[in-house]
Amino acid sequence: MSVIPPSERLAVRLTVNGRPVEHAVEARRSLADFLREDLALTGTHVGCEHGVCGACTVMVDGRSARACLLFAAQLDGRDVITIEGLTPADGLSPLQECFRACHAMQCGFCTPGMIVTATELLAQDPAPSTEAIREAISGNLCMCTGYVNIVRAIAQAAARAGARA
Amino acid sequence: MSHRPVREGGWVGRPLPLKEDARLVAGRGRFVDDLGRPRMLHAAMLRSPHAHARIVSVDTRGAEALPGVFGILTGAEAVARSGPIRPLIPTTAVVPDYCLAVDRARYVGEPVAAVAAVDRATAEDALERIRVEYEPLPVVVDPEAALGADAPLLFPELGTNVVWHDTLTYGAVDEAMARADGVLRERFTIQRYASTPLETFGGIAEYDAGADTFEFWTNDQRPGLTISSLAASLGVPQSRVRLSCPDIGGGFGNKRRPAYLLVCALLARKTGRPVKWIEDRIENLTALMHACNGIMDVELAYRADGTLLALSIRDIADEGKNLVTPTQHNLIKLGNIANGYRIPAVRYEAWSVLTNKCPSGANRGIGKPFMCFAIERAMALLARRLELDPAELRLRNYVTAEQMPYTTPPGARYDSGDYPATLRRALERFGYAERRAEQAASRARDDGRWLGIGIATSVEPAGTNLASYEIVTGRRAASGSAEAAMVRVEPDGAVRVSLGDPPSGQGYETVLAQIVADELGLTPDAVTVTRGFDSATTPWLYLSGNYSNKFSVTDVGAVVGAAARVRDKLLRIAAHRLEAAVADLELSGGAVAVRGAPDRRIAFAELARTAYADVLGLPSGEQPGLEARQAYQNPLAEPMDGERRVRSQLVFSNAAHCCLVEVDRRTGLVKILEYLVVHDCGRELNPLIVEGMVHGATAHGIGAALLEEFRYDAQGQLLASTFMDYLKPTSVDVPLIEVDRLEHPSPVTPLGAKGVGEGGAIPGPAAVANAIEDALAHLGVVVRGLPITPEQIWRWTR
Repeated sequence: MSVIPPSERLAVRLTVNGRPVEHAVEARRSLADFLREDLALTGTHVGCEHGVCGACTVMVDGRSARACLLFAAQLDGRDVITIEGLTPADGLSPLQECFRACHAMQCGFCTPGMIVTATELLAQDPAPSTEAIREAISGNLCMCTGYVNIVRAIAQAAARAGARA
Repeated sequence: MSHRPVREGGWVGRPLPLKEDARLVAGRGRFVDDLGRPRMLHAAMLRSPHAHARIVSVDTRGAEALPGVFGILTGAEAVARSGPIRPLIPTTAVVPDYCLAVDRARYVGEPVAAVAAVDRATAEDALERIRVEYEPLPVVVDPEAALGADAPLLFPELGTNVVWHDTLTYGAVDEAMARADGVLRERFTIQRYASTPLETFGGIAEYDAGADTFEFWTNDQRPGLTISSLAASLGVPQSRVRLSCPDIGGGFGNKRRPAYLLVCALLARKTGRPVKWIEDRIENLTALMHACNGIMDVELAYRADGTLLALSIRDIADEGKNLVTPTQHNLIKLGNIANGYRIPAVRYEAWSVLTNKCPSGANRGIGKPFMCFAIERAMALLARRLELDPAELRLRNYVTAEQMPYTTPPGARYDSGDYPATLRRALERFGYAERRAEQAASRARDDGRWLGIGIATSVEPAGTNLASYEIVTGRRAASGSAEAAMVRVEPDGAVRVSLGDPPSGQGYETVLAQIVADELGLTPDAVTVTRGFDSATTPWLYLSGNYSNKFSVTDVGAVVGAAARVRDKLLRIAAHRLEAAVADLELSGGAVAVRGAPDRRIAFAELARTAYADVLGLPSGEQPGLEARQAYQNPLAEPMDGERRVRSQLVFSNAAHCCLVEVDRRTGLVKILEYLVVHDCGRELNPLIVEGMVHGATAHGIGAALLEEFRYDAQGQLLASTFMDYLKPTSVDVPLIEVDRLEHPSPVTPLGAKGVGEGGAIPGPAAVANAIEDALAHLGVVVRGLPITPEQIWRWTR
C-alpha cells in the first residue's frame, strides 16, 4: 500500500446537506475541520478530537459518525448531514423545539451533536424508553445539564411525534 | 439595601424558555473558534514533557525553515518582548513568570515555545522541528512532601514551596476541645479534578502597528481582570487594548489564561498578522487548570448529645504551579468552613503549596466541595459514633432561620434561609424513613444488594469580596464585589442591555430581558441583550466577569439600577411632553401614559425621537440620549476587621442532597438509584434556568465522587490526559435528578435572588460518598478520599 504524504491534496466529491461539494483536501484534513474551515459549517463543534465527546457528531449516509475521527478524503461519494442540514430554513425542527421547551442545553456547545444523535435514535426507535434514550446519547458528553433535560426533550419529541402519527 | 418585591404578574420568576436556546439548538451559536480575521495565522505550542527540568537550549532553526511558518516565540523572546504575568492575588511568592517557560519548566505541559503558521497543521509540523535540550530536575508531586525542608524547589529564589502558611483562630478552640465529651479526628483528601467545559479555551489576537493597539477575541470568562493583565504585560495602556467575548461554551471557572492570549499577541505583533490559538483537549486537561487537590485534618469537638463545640482544620491546598491565584482555595472556604452549622469556635490552619503539577485555579465552587466533603463526612462519622441518625445530628446543629442573619466565627454572614426546613423537606420528599426501612429489610433478607443512603447539606456562597485577599497579602490591592451594566433605549425606541459579565450558559439574554421588561413595562421580546462582551462598548470594571456565582449579588443590581435610571428619564421626558406630573405616569406596553387617562400616552419611539433627534423638546437641563450605565457594588462587602474576620463571600444559598445507591458486590460498581436535591437560592428569577444549573452542578459533583481524577505518577507525569482516561459522567452515569425548592428571598440583593450555579457541585461529592460508606458500613469501611472507583470498592470489600 502506498503512503500518502499528509499534506498531499486529494479530490473529494460528496453531498453535504443535500448539496454537491467538490474539494481538494489535504489527506490529513479531518471531516470536522473540512466542514468548519472549508465549508464554513461551524455548527459542528470540536470538543476533544479523540472521538469521545460527541460534539462533532454528524450524519454520514444516515448513520451518526464522529467528524473528528474521519478524514474528509474518506468521504468521497458519501452523503453528509450536519446540524445546518437538520435545521429548517425557517424556525426549528420538532426535536429542536422540544430541546428549547425543555431547556435541554446551557452553553450550547454539545447541542448540535446531541441533536444529530437524537435524530438517529428517533429514526430507528420512534418510541424509545428512558433507558434507550440514555444509552443512545451516552457517547455525547454534556458538561452543563446533567443530561436530565436532554433526556426529557428527546422523550417529549418522541411523544409528540407519536401523537401526530 | 433591602430587596424590592418582585412585581406581581411580572416577567421575573417565570420559567420562560430561553431566547439564546433558539440559536444554540440550531448550531447558530458563535464561539471563538467560529471566528476568523483576514490574513489570520494559527498558533500551536510546544510543551514540556518533563515535570521539572532546566531548559538548556531551544533551537528553532529547523522550524523557521519550514514553508508556511511566519513566526516563532521562545521563552527568551517572551522576556525580551513582554512583562511577567500579573498575579490576581499578590502573595509573597513574587517571582517573574512569563507567558512561556524561560529557563525552567515546572509541570508537564508547560508551554516552552509557540509557532504561528499558515494553518494549525503546519504550526504543529513546525513544533516537531524545534529542538529543546532539557536537564531533568528532581520532582515534587505530593503536597506534604513539598512542605519538607529538603523538598525540590520550584523557585529556588523563594527558598520554599510554601506560598502561604498561617493559623487563624476565632473563639476559644482549645478550651472547647478540652471540655468536650469527645473529639472526632479524621484526615480527608480530595483529588485534582476539573469541570472541563466542552469548548476548550482559545483566542485571537490582532495588532495594529499604526495605532499600537491590540484587539482580542476570546472565551476568557473574566475579561476585566484579563484586560488589565494583558495591558500590563504588553506595556501598553488599557486604552489600547480591546477585548471581546463571543458565546462561551461553558466556563465553570476554568476558562482563563492570560498567558496564552499574550503568546498570541506577541506572535501577532511579530508577524504583523492576526493569530488564533485554540487549545486542544489534551492541552486543556494537562495544562489549563485543575481544582487543587488537598489534605484536610479535621478535629471536631462535641458534647455527648451531638452538639458541636469547636472545629479545628489543617488544610493543605496543592496549587501545582499556580502563581496567579494561589491561596484562593484556602481563602474562599474560610468564612464557611463550618458549613451550615453553628460552631462557636473555629481554627483554620492554611497551607498553600507549589508542586510540579498543572496550575490550580477556579473550578465550580472553588474549595467548597472539599469543605463540604470533609465536614459532611465528619458529620456522618460522628453520627455513627454517637449512634444518632445523621439527619438528626445535623438538625441539632444547624444555624436556624431565627438566627439569621448569622455571622460565622471567621466573619461570613449567612443572610437568610431555613437550613433545618430544607433538610426536613428533603427527608420527606426522599421518603427517608421508608428508604431506611427498605435498606434494613434488604440487609435482613441478605438479598445480595448493598444499599446505601447518603445525606449531605451545604451552604452555597455567592459573590467574592476581594478584600479577603488581605488576610494573605497584608495589604489591599482590590476589594469588594461589583459589576457594571448598561440599559439603552435606542433612537427608534428599541431597548438594548449589556453587562460586563459574559455568560457561559446561564441564559442572561433571557433573564436580563425579564428583569428589564419588568422595570420598563415591556415584554422580554422587546428587550435585546447584547451577546457576550466587548470592552469598547460594554460597561465593565476590573471585577467584571462570569465567576463566583456573582450574578445575583452584583449583576442584577447593576441592571436594575441602569433600568431604573432610564425609566426615570423616560418619565421625565414624558411628563414634559404630556404636561403631567411624573407621579401620575405609568409605563406599560412600550409607552408612558397618564394613569387613568389611557389616551394621554406617548410611545417609547416618540420619547426616543425627542431624546436623540428633536432635542429641543427635552425638559430644560435634560441631557440628550436615553441610556444609563450603572455599576453596582454589593454593600455587604467590607474590609477585613482587626480580628482578621472578613466576608470573603457575600450571599448564601443552601441545599440538601439525598441519594440512594447500590454497590455491586462483584464488580464494585456504584449505581445511583435515586438522587434528590432540595435547594433554596432565594427568589428564582427564571426557574427553568435555575433547575438546569442545579442538575448540571450536581452531575459535576457525581463525577468528582465516582469518576474524575487527574492522577500523577511520582515523576509528575499526568496519567489522565484524554477523555478516555479522564472519565466524565455520561448520560448513563447521571440519574434523573429530582429537584425541589424552598424560596427564602435574600434581604441583601436587589430582587431577593441568591447564587445558584455552583450549588450542586458542593454537596454532591459528599452525598455520594456518604451513601457508599452507608452501604459498606457493615464492613467497617470509612471513606476518606475521592473518587470512589470500582477498584477502590473492590479493595475495601474483597
